[in-house]
Amino acid sequence: MPLLSSILLVPVATLVLLLLLPSARSIRWVCALSGLSNCILSALLWHNYDSGIGGVQFEEIIPWVKGAGISYHVGVDGFSTVLIMLNSIVYFTGVLTMWDLRQRVKEYFAFMVLLVVGVYGVFMSLDLFFLFFFYEIAVVPMYPLILIWGSGNKDYAAMKLMVFLLAGSALLFPALLAVYHTAGLGTFDMVALAAHNFDPQFQIFCYPFIYIGFGVLAGMFPLHGWSPTGHVAAPSAVSMLHAGVLMKLGAFGILAVGMRILPAGAVYWAPTFAVLAAIGIIYGAFVAMRQTDFKFVIGFSSVSHMGIVLLGLNLATLGIAGSDALNGAVFQMFAHGIMTALFFSTVGFIYDRAHSKTIADFGGLGSQMPRAVALFIIAGLCGAGLPGLASFWAELLVFLAALKTYPIIGVCIVLGLVITAVYILRVFGLAFFGPPNPRWEGLRDQDMKGMELLPRVVLVAVLFFFGLFPQAMLGMIDGATAVLLGRF
Amino acid sequence: MSDTLLFAPELVLLIFGLLLFLCPVFDLSYRLTWKLALVGGALALGAGLWTLNMTGEPFAPGIYRVDFFSQFIKTILALGYLLTIAISHRPQTLDRASWLEYPMFLLLATLCIIMMATATEMLTLYIAMELAAYPLYIAVALHRNPQIGGESSTKYMLQGMVASAISLYGMSFLFGVFATTYFSGISAGLPAAASQPLFWIGLLLLLAGFLFKLAVFPFHFWTPDTYQTAPHQVVTYLATVSKVAAIAILCRLVALASNGEWSADSISSVLMWMSVAAMSLGNFAALVQKDLKRLLGYSAVAHAGYILVAIQTGTLLGFSAALFYAPAYLAMSFICFLVVCEVGADNDLVTIESVAGLHRRSPLLAATLLVGLFALIGLPPTVGFIGKWFLFSAALEQNQFLLVLVAAINAVVGLYYYLLVLRQAYQAEPTTDAPISSAPGVKIAALTGAVLVLIMGTFPGRYWDMATQAASALLD
Repeated sequence: MPLLSSILLVPVATLVLLLLLPSARSIRWVCALSGLSNCILSALLWHNYDSGIGGVQFEEIIPWVKGAGISYHVGVDGFSTVLIMLNSIVYFTGVLTMWDLRQRVKEYFAFMVLLVVGVYGVFMSLDLFFLFFFYEIAVVPMYPLILIWGSGNKDYAAMKLMVFLLAGSALLFPALLAVYHTAGLGTFDMVALAAHNFDPQFQIFCYPFIYIGFGVLAGMFPLHGWSPTGHVAAPSAVSMLHAGVLMKLGAFGILAVGMRILPAGAVYWAPTFAVLAAIGIIYGAFVAMRQTDFKFVIGFSSVSHMGIVLLGLNLATLGIAGSDALNGAVFQMFAHGIMTALFFSTVGFIYDRAHSKTIADFGGLGSQMPRAVALFIIAGLCGAGLPGLASFWAELLVFLAALKTYPIIGVCIVLGLVITAVYILRVFGLAFFGPPNPRWEGLRDQDMKGMELLPRVVLVAVLFFFGLFPQAMLGMIDGATAVLLGRF
Repeated sequence: MSDTLLFAPELVLLIFGLLLFLCPVFDLSYRLTWKLALVGGALALGAGLWTLNMTGEPFAPGIYRVDFFSQFIKTILALGYLLTIAISHRPQTLDRASWLEYPMFLLLATLCIIMMATATEMLTLYIAMELAAYPLYIAVALHRNPQIGGESSTKYMLQGMVASAISLYGMSFLFGVFATTYFSGISAGLPAAASQPLFWIGLLLLLAGFLFKLAVFPFHFWTPDTYQTAPHQVVTYLATVSKVAAIAILCRLVALASNGEWSADSISSVLMWMSVAAMSLGNFAALVQKDLKRLLGYSAVAHAGYILVAIQTGTLLGFSAALFYAPAYLAMSFICFLVVCEVGADNDLVTIESVAGLHRRSPLLAATLLVGLFALIGLPPTVGFIGKWFLFSAALEQNQFLLVLVAAINAVVGLYYYLLVLRQAYQAEPTTDAPISSAPGVKIAALTGAVLVLIMGTFPGRYWDMATQAASALLD
């Protein structure tokens, strides 16, 4: 059985199976097993991917619609391998995080697994049609997931999210088709399209549609508005998937479609979009500092952190510190994915017990729920870029590249990092330390234990592992970086 | 003998039309009449599939051409008729006194629509079109509550007649230019006549009758009213079978113009602006609707616009895309109306609130509605996604980047009102907890439609090849 198709088909089979299963208990177990087996398959993929050779491996091609140039073409390079691993981890831990869900269990897991299928599909597709097909599949389930299982202002958040994201798709629709027709190759195969030299004028015209279209999902400033509200309203595992992997689809789309197929367009627009990304980093951090709701803090921190990814992608095209910038950007996609998954998983746990996510309601929670708070603090320190955790390396690489390429932007975003430290430490101080709030005394017995710890500990372990052994990550993505930078 | 074979689908429908005519005469039960209509539909579908790859001209040459295009369309139309009848086991919004005649009207309309799709001569086309229209004028007016049905059925009939009069007027122009009523004669005379404005004005006028059926701006005014107030099952028919026929004939007529050396620019630009107007108007008007059927009516106007995006290109890719979208639209529109018929079985009007809490009252219907609305929005893995992909791809082949951008933005506007309906079905509290128990036939029809929407969306290869083959037959 081909490995990539297995990774895709396991969740598809899970989806079919769980629609047939009657009891919530069996559905949970099937999903957990499916998540676990995909983690194993992804680990196998990582292990068997030969980074010495690099390039695209594990290719499978099946003609799909011959007359229209569409084929099911999957394959992975270093970037995709890393991101598929990320998706598997978040999928597995996401299922465990929602173990206690009681309301409409079957529908919930059906939509969640559908989302996971879409994400896998995007990361492994080498056909432009299928990439877009899976991209939309990944976006669609967010609406019911937020609408039905969300909290707070969920009607507004779900609709806003859908309208923003599909407006992005509306830009992609003509752009992707224009790429196909302009190339005149009669195929949507991205390998063939990437080898084609498009007219620079066309690239300059088309690239912004692709960058902005995908960029909306990556939380690009100033089109990030859907993201924090969506995070806040969504149930915790949906926020995990949303911030952890879904936003990465946007950045991956820019990388795989925009930069690979339209390199000259990417170079032309890089300064403009780099400035926007830098504004996003600082703006997100400033807004996060003023929030009163845990989830809003994390939501805006995501805007800020995804800004680092986008900045890295843009700097990569400019050639001065290209490989640092691109390595950093992809590393940050992975690190941020795991980190926000941990954030939302933990906040979701606290919210389920305390039924509040207002920072000011808490105080000294650290002595009442020491384990949950410790996990949150680890995620926070990772966000602040503490050495020893995965984000440190990712952010360091992008910042170094920025300082070399655009010193002014570089200095500004280093200041942004300081603000990040401030808003994270502010949350710690207000909510976790200081005198315990007697209102939460009852939570002492309800701290995380047993199975509840498992998903969070897995995430922490991954953060530490790649923080201590960044070479494991960089070795994997370096080859793909070199190939992509060869295009500029 | 072979001529009779070529005529098989029509013959089946004709025989069953006569049989159904006898049902009210002998005052049979509705149940029996309904079953007879079902069998007729199934046989017509079978005959369509059987004759799918046959070609020939069963009557005088040049008048009636059986080829892959016509048989492809016939099969889809027969399927649409069959599905509509399948959900008509108790058409409660219809006047009880005319239940026995109702299947006959739909069947005769189907027969004539099928002849319309096969005609290759203007008068044959016109007669088939008129014959197809009359049973529908009557069926639309069969509402059990005359106060509700009266206005819209008058509107539908008057506008339909005006549109067909305009068509006839256009035909007289074409006859004036070419001195023939045969399509083949027009094709042959085209290179010489192409420069004459009389030709393209005539052709545009001829299109009017079919733009009316497809509900394209400015012939769409009947759509929201008729959708809202006609009996549910009749609207289902209008929204599915009638639409497919209109798409098919529009393809045939526009193909007539794009044949040969002649450039279709002037017609193409008129159609393009109509398409932009239709989709923008349909989508923005649908945003504020409270009535579900009316909302779907405006959505039909918007979809007419999307389909014209492909047809106005006048290319093989454009016709293939439109012909691919025709069965796709039939299926998605059908399953949405199936839910309307079930939810509002005994209500004269169906508002968006009627589907509130549907997931609790009938999980199957809620899931069907989900699939149908996702397809109308154009989301994968439903056929709505790849259908739109092909439609827009055809326009981009002609470098109409801006048109596709407008269409794609329109699709996002559409997203909003479809999601509001979905929100009612999946999230709102139901007004009544009474479960909806659908008849087995309805369940089968719902599954057939939903599976078709999903299969065509995920494994479109075969259907795309068929659509391309039909489009090539058109351009021969």
